[in-house]
Amino acid sequence: MRTGRRLKSLQARLLAPLLGLLTVVWLGAAVMIWFDTSHELDELLDGHLAQAAALLVMQQTHAHEEDSVEDAPSLHKYAPKVVFQVFHEGRLVLSSANAGTVPISRKEQGFSTVRLTDDAQWRVFATRGAEHDVQVYVGEQTESRDSILLAVLQGVLLPLVIALPLLALVGWWAVRQGLAPLRHLSRVLAQRRPQAMEPLVVPDLSTEMVPVVQALNGLFERIEQMLVSERRFTADAAHELRTPIAAIRAQAQVALGAGHDAAQRDHALQFTLAGCDRATHLVEQLLTLARLEAAPASAADAVARVDLSALARRVAADLAPTALARGQTLQLEAPTACRVAGDEALIGVLVRNLVDNALRYSPNQAQVWVSVAMESGQAVLRVQDSGAGMTEPEMARLGERFYRVLGSDQPGSGLGWSIVKRIATVFGAQVQVSRSERLGGLAVTVRWPR
Amino acid sequence: MKILLAEDDSMLGDGLRAGLRQLGFQVDWVRDGVAAERELACGDYAAAVLDLGLPLKDGIDVLQAVRASKITTPVLVLTARDAVPDRIRGLDLGADDYVVKPVDLHELGARLRSLVRRAHGQMQDVLRCGAVLLEPSARRVSLNDEPVALSTREFDLLHVLMLNADRVLSREQLEQQLYSWGYEVESNAIEVHIHHLRRKLQPDLIQTVRGIGYTVQRGSAPASAST
Repeated sequence: MRTGRRLKSLQARLLAPLLGLLTVVWLGAAVMIWFDTSHELDELLDGHLAQAAALLVMQQTHAHEEDSVEDAPSLHKYAPKVVFQVFHEGRLVLSSANAGTVPISRKEQGFSTVRLTDDAQWRVFATRGAEHDVQVYVGEQTESRDSILLAVLQGVLLPLVIALPLLALVGWWAVRQGLAPLRHLSRVLAQRRPQAMEPLVVPDLSTEMVPVVQALNGLFERIEQMLVSERRFTADAAHELRTPIAAIRAQAQVALGAGHDAAQRDHALQFTLAGCDRATHLVEQLLTLARLEAAPASAADAVARVDLSALARRVAADLAPTALARGQTLQLEAPTACRVAGDEALIGVLVRNLVDNALRYSPNQAQVWVSVAMESGQAVLRVQDSGAGMTEPEMARLGERFYRVLGSDQPGSGLGWSIVKRIATVFGAQVQVSRSERLGGLAVTVRWPR
Repeated sequence: MKILLAEDDSMLGDGLRAGLRQLGFQVDWVRDGVAAERELACGDYAAAVLDLGLPLKDGIDVLQAVRASKITTPVLVLTARDAVPDRIRGLDLGADDYVVKPVDLHELGARLRSLVRRAHGQMQDVLRCGAVLLEPSARRVSLNDEPVALSTREFDLLHVLMLNADRVLSREQLEQQLYSWGYEVESNAIEVHIHHLRRKLQPDLIQTVRGIGYTVQRGSAPASAST
């Protein structure tokens, strides 16, 4: 946390590149100044060397006394850094005090850089007189050039050294000021109650913060919707669970209070049992839905191939007794194996819910037709019935948890559709509800992706 | 006492109807909101048990419409919606009682009796007219502290008359309050029951107002023994 903090701090992120860039640019400028100055300095001083050499040649040509070596007096503090020798017909006639008797450069003409006995580097210009009897060397210690360069560079770099911390300080302050709205927002957020779902209102919002606040408000809205739907689910679940329990209780009490009326007692007890079955069914459906909503991804990951036809046959066989008891005809048409991607148990729940719904909400003697087929490469499951069907608005509301077509007297949970839709979503299948062309009631079509 | 039961769940509705009948109520059962509103508007019910999640018209809407048209029949809301805001809304919209499912039948009966009693401005369970004492919860009638055996219809008739003491009720009103649907009411049934009541209790307990109906006067019947 502490090590990552520097990297994660916006302030550091803004300041570090800014100051880094400033340093690089400044240093680049210093390098350029170094090269430029040293070049110009070399040209200038080389020129001076050449001029001095020329003067010495002239002087020697006009007046030279034989057999005497003169040491010119050193008059300036820079004098030890300057050296010259004048040879006349190979003999040293004039030289500076610090010059030896040997020519300081092997080159007789032009510039050269040499190391003399004092172990310092010297820039030497050599030239000859017109008649080649005079040889002049003028040298200058390169160190003096370097010290001039250094002085120039110091002038450039010193302000940088002073300015950098100052800039860092001002930059830190400016960035801090700039980030103040962010801190304000975080304070506002920190003080917010966890249940608060109203949109954030931050006065004087800076342009850059607007999308953040908008995104946050969008998030709050979505969370609120989720909470509302969860709350409604709880209320609906309570309603759906309480009603059968209330029925069981009332019927049981009626049975207790029936006295000698055996017919009434039997009737009430039968209803008590039916109420228990209904509550059991509801609880099972709720559990299925809860499991589906808890672990949807894991189910989709394990993509096994399931034979839809075999599954439909099994479900039809399971539900056939219920259908027979009500005089309903349950027909299955699944001629070929039809493999779809999905979990066998879950697809089984889907098929079972569809067929169960069709039987449950169709009257006695009704027909229910289940078919499995391949249509243009897609596996298609169809469940049709000859029941009353549904109106458009009713179809639209299907799949809302606990939504049951009102007035239907069948003890359904209203959860079957939620379960079907959920499972279909997990495996990427599409569910369609329409009017059955063949039987006139409801037709449900589930299409698996290729 | 005739009660309107509005409940869409067939299993629960059947149980409540049977249970309330066992407790001596007459019960008319409707399964949707529109029917509930219609029946409350024209039927003469002592009270109504109203489920909120009704088809066609939500119970809350029924309640609102009924109260808007000045129908004062006591309404007991019986629902699975137990959230406090739901309860507050139900009571504010004119429900007289709010009971969350599941409910004990005896408690439901007691609450209904209490609603009816309060609707008639009575504070106690027992009704008294002179020497005649009627206890609705126990379905017991006594004359001078001596129990008197009455048939169900006779008891109900006396109950209605005593609840509406000092008011004249027509034969039609009495029939409406006494019989639930499906009963063929014989034209002279009320007269017969009145006759029996006069014979079993006191001849002058129930007075006939010619051309209008019957009435019981509070305290009119002479008390021959203690209060």
